[in-house]
Amino acid sequence: MPPRYGKLDLAAWSKSAPAINGYKTEPWILKGARIVTLNMEIDDDPADNLIPATMHPSIPAYAIFCVTNYPDSPVGPFSIAEVRISGRTGVRPRGFVLRSFCDNEDARRELAARWGYPTVAGDVKLYIRHDRVVANVSAGGKPVLECELLDRDVISGGDIQYIASMHLARNQDDGKLVLVQVDPEFTFVKAERGKPRIILLDNDAFAAGANLRLANPISATFTTADVTLPKIRYICNPGLPAMQGTTKVAA
Amino acid sequence: MKFGLFYEISVPRPWGRETEKTVYDNCLEQVALADQLGFDSVWAVEHHFLEEYSHCPAPELFLTACAMKTKKMRIGHGIIVCVPEFNHPIKIAERTAVLDILSGGRLDVGTGRSATWTELAGFRANPDETKKTWDEFVHCLPRMWTQDRFSYQGRSWSMPQRTIVPKPYQKPHPPLWVAVTSPGTEIDAAERGMGSLGLTFGGFADQEEKVKRYRKIIRNCTPVGDFVNEAVSSVNFLYCHEDEAEGVKVGRRLTGTFNYLAAQLLSVREAYPSKSYPSLGLLPSLRQEAAGPGDASGAPEGIAIGNPARILREMKKWEAVGCDRVNFLLNALETVPQQKVLDSLRLFAKEVMPHFQGASDCASAAAGGR
Repeated sequence: MPPRYGKLDLAAWSKSAPAINGYKTEPWILKGARIVTLNMEIDDDPADNLIPATMHPSIPAYAIFCVTNYPDSPVGPFSIAEVRISGRTGVRPRGFVLRSFCDNEDARRELAARWGYPTVAGDVKLYIRHDRVVANVSAGGKPVLECELLDRDVISGGDIQYIASMHLARNQDDGKLVLVQVDPEFTFVKAERGKPRIILLDNDAFAAGANLRLANPISATFTTADVTLPKIRYICNPGLPAMQGTTKVAA
Repeated sequence: MKFGLFYEISVPRPWGRETEKTVYDNCLEQVALADQLGFDSVWAVEHHFLEEYSHCPAPELFLTACAMKTKKMRIGHGIIVCVPEFNHPIKIAERTAVLDILSGGRLDVGTGRSATWTELAGFRANPDETKKTWDEFVHCLPRMWTQDRFSYQGRSWSMPQRTIVPKPYQKPHPPLWVAVTSPGTEIDAAERGMGSLGLTFGGFADQEEKVKRYRKIIRNCTPVGDFVNEAVSSVNFLYCHEDEAEGVKVGRRLTGTFNYLAAQLLSVREAYPSKSYPSLGLLPSLRQEAAGPGDASGAPEGIAIGNPARILREMKKWEAVGCDRVNFLLNALETVPQQKVLDSLRLFAKEVMPHFQGASDCASAAAGGR
């Protein structure tokens, strides 16, 4: 078996990469976010096609289904749902975002221009019930993701480790394709853990095709937190391993 | 202060037919040389599914080969994963007794519970339970080694009365250790009268506090076995070369490779939030330490890379904070050519080990008598 790196088809993915307006964005502080994440192991070899060569796959590979409701933001309330594929940039755990759905047009525009979020229009709903938390996502009236956290159990926010995201985007200033690292800060108000269950997943809607094959469920969390979408600190050349192609753009 | 070897057995891709055999052969050659040079012990981990990082799922077999190739070194079986999905406690008692017999009473037994989701989920083990099952196992093991007849009705396992044979060669039984990675585990070790098999560093000041805490608590411990194994061990990297710059350069390549491999694994904490795993465990901790602030040579504090003079200084600091022994990782992905590894061992034994009392006094390691 040869050394492992991501095998994402950059030429194909670059066509849908959002335009980012440089790397100078100011942070957004988003209070009272409600965040559901589901971690699911996925089949290793096809998953290599879902992360760029910058990243080494985690062992084993897993996908992170993340649905967040922000009750307030500079552009009003919005909800966003995304699928990330785990990997490593050098020695750091990261999640490559395949695609996200967002229900607020202004938020979509700002998230793409400031942080390179690969976001399209969609309805994103969170339902909080006593025994579960349900997330439903649809686009064009068609469901693309239905998932839930079962058996809610209170834990400490200190036990949760959310990993930073990597967004493939094209810099408007110089036209270069880059991977943008987005590492939000979280201040947890409350946290729960449960079992993850994916009821419906439209692989094509998340640009995963046949490469995303769900395997072993890991865990699910539901948190309420104040989230800071930060300044951009690092960008990577998506065609090179992170050790060779990472640039620091802010302290 | 004594010095030992610590094996993860890291195998580089691509994995041809001979790759793993070559790595195992190299390890055994190193162990045989280390025995002649006066190193005190050889330890081998138990890991599963950790591709490239560790191809050592059956350490008892590797260690049996080590025992056959050595005369004096202690044989460190550790850590054994004390989780029922990995190892049944009866099998642990039996196979350690056999290894103790085959090695002529040179066995040390390290215990732990695994820190990766990669491994725990592979065996369908519940991360929330591992600390509890570890505790249950370490209380049973000495009784299984020493009692003529044994029966048990416990939380995670049970057995009707049987005679567990053979019994260990060492009397009353081999020394017991605990892998210490998570904060506070040194207290678990001390309260149970077990050796602290440190697998992280965290700076000398932090280490000194841990050792003090351990030695204070162990004075009033309730030992799980028939004797108290008061001992503090730490893990480190070793690359020793006459030229400091060359030693640091090759050593940093070794530490960087190890850390890169470790980072690709999935820790429990990353994937499965649990109060049972408050820290990231061995792998990221070692990674941070080996990448930490360095001295003028460019080598990180406490790491045994460079020339003999630098390594001697660092080892004296370990001794000063109360560490009894240091176990060395010698390679990762065969980054360091075998001849260089052997030369490094020889140079360390010649220039560094003589500065430590008891460093080559391997034969004194009789069970219970330490």
